[in-house]
Amino acid sequence: MTVTLAPPAPVRTGRASLDDLHARARAARRMVIDMAASPTGCHLGGSLSVLDILIAALDRANAGDGTEVVLSKGHAAAGLYAALHVSGILAEDPVPRYGAADGHFTGHPGAAVPGVRFPTGSLGHGVPYALGWALGRRMAGRGGLAIAVAGDGELQEGLIWESCQVAAAQKVGNLVLVVDRNGGQNDGAVDAISPLPRLADRFATFGFDTLEVDGHDLAALRDALAPARDGADRPLAVIARTVKGKGVRPVEGKPSAHYVTIDAARAAVWKELVR
Amino acid sequence: MTLSGRAAYRDELTRLAAEDERIVCLEADLGGRGHPFQQAFPDRFFNVGIAEGAMIDMAAGLAAAGFRPFVSTFAPFAALRAAESIKLAMGYYGAGITVVAPYAGVSGAWFGTTHHCLEDVAVLSAMPGITIAAPYGEREMRAVIRRAARTGAPHYVRTGRNAAPESLPWQGEEPPPVVWDDDGAAPGRVCLVSVGEVGTELCLAVRRERPDLPHAHLCYLDRGNLSTAAAELSRRYERFVVVEEHRPGGGTASALALLMPGREVRSADAGDRWPSHGGSHEDVLTELGLTETAVWRALAACGEARVPAAT
Repeated sequence: MTVTLAPPAPVRTGRASLDDLHARARAARRMVIDMAASPTGCHLGGSLSVLDILIAALDRANAGDGTEVVLSKGHAAAGLYAALHVSGILAEDPVPRYGAADGHFTGHPGAAVPGVRFPTGSLGHGVPYALGWALGRRMAGRGGLAIAVAGDGELQEGLIWESCQVAAAQKVGNLVLVVDRNGGQNDGAVDAISPLPRLADRFATFGFDTLEVDGHDLAALRDALAPARDGADRPLAVIARTVKGKGVRPVEGKPSAHYVTIDAARAAVWKELVR
Repeated sequence: MTLSGRAAYRDELTRLAAEDERIVCLEADLGGRGHPFQQAFPDRFFNVGIAEGAMIDMAAGLAAAGFRPFVSTFAPFAALRAAESIKLAMGYYGAGITVVAPYAGVSGAWFGTTHHCLEDVAVLSAMPGITIAAPYGEREMRAVIRRAARTGAPHYVRTGRNAAPESLPWQGEEPPPVVWDDDGAAPGRVCLVSVGEVGTELCLAVRRERPDLPHAHLCYLDRGNLSTAAAELSRRYERFVVVEEHRPGGGTASALALLMPGREVRSADAGDRWPSHGGSHEDVLTELGLTETAVWRALAACGEARVPAAT
């Protein structure tokens, strides 16, 4: 395979303690706030809702068994960069060059960033990328999960369900699709635009195993992603209930937090609020 | 007896897969029953169902995991329905996927416009990093597939339905940027340039009446290969008629015109109409005006009459 921009190899540092994961999540939230205070601003609400999922998923990848994490909701790039950095995979602090002309930290992630194998941003594509990766690992007799992280609004893309259909038909049990169920999308609430009732049942009907967890409970997320699933013949969907803007009280649950640009003074106040 | 483009693809890929375990074959429910790759290597064959976009994206994941995925579906569904997947996976990401797209042009004939694709070269040409090929005959198709398997670079391979012409002769392992068919050609004449199965057939038909007209057949149509071809063409000739089963917009004639400033480039192509009748492949080409008469008309515009050259 030829990759347009070959990134440096990501670093795998091994698994962390639960306390370390909590510390990483707090540090990453502060970095995301700093990126919201960059000249470009960032997708703050979705970056904060997905952050604990990413912290747990990247810790799973740090096991070094070939597990790959694909952020399909690529607009949460700020969250991904921060999570990669605090997880020890991305050496460079992404904050100073987020959105800048002299760096690769674009508003949707590209494969020039260490730890980002698949570029994403146009919604829906990350899930079939992960599906192909999972299938390839299985065919090669090698372990590891392919963890695709999608938004609930993203599930409105037909490509997602094409991929779920194929994943179940091909019995790709090492594919894990984590849904960041924050209930929001660009123009408002998912329920008001194109609701997703009985979401776990939908995945079950497609032939997935399903789990529903608190998407901000790092212990629960870690447990959900722990099994190797080498012998599984049904892919797994994890519905992670989350809050948009989680961890920063002034924006928690607010649709207006979808994309935010703030100044340095406000960023300093918000970082103090991170729990 | 030669094989059609898609039959040659399946046979060559199956042969290559015996020696290269990285090769995997994906179909979107249009590979037909009894696919030779499926019979030979069932563990590396996947009919993903009617899911073209997912197929391309899955192939990107497989390529990242170390495989050489070859995917196939009809040209309209590959180049247009799955266009964004191709752009992102094969262009932007550079995944080593080969897309083999039969039913290009109007070879689907009576199946109608939904199954035609007169726009694929325009779409794919706009995506840097993808090699585009339109092989003529079994030998060219086999060579293109071997090249794709060997290089692991992104390829889009355009072919027809069941046409099985004999490839033009060329030396070496793979077709050069320009395959010359110019025995008996006279200097200073208009040069015919053929693309694909129909374009090449029409140029060969014209040459039977006017062997003094040189004929350059192009197998590779991406900008890089066309640049090489254009340099060679413009060294030898001043005036060209490009014959291609494609719309004028974004086709090979328009690309060559930009690559050969100062040269006269005209085309006989499939025009801008949407065909609405059934019939054979030839019938639909006639409805669109892509006929031998159209090639003669383009030649006449360049000053070449439809009479045998004086000897």
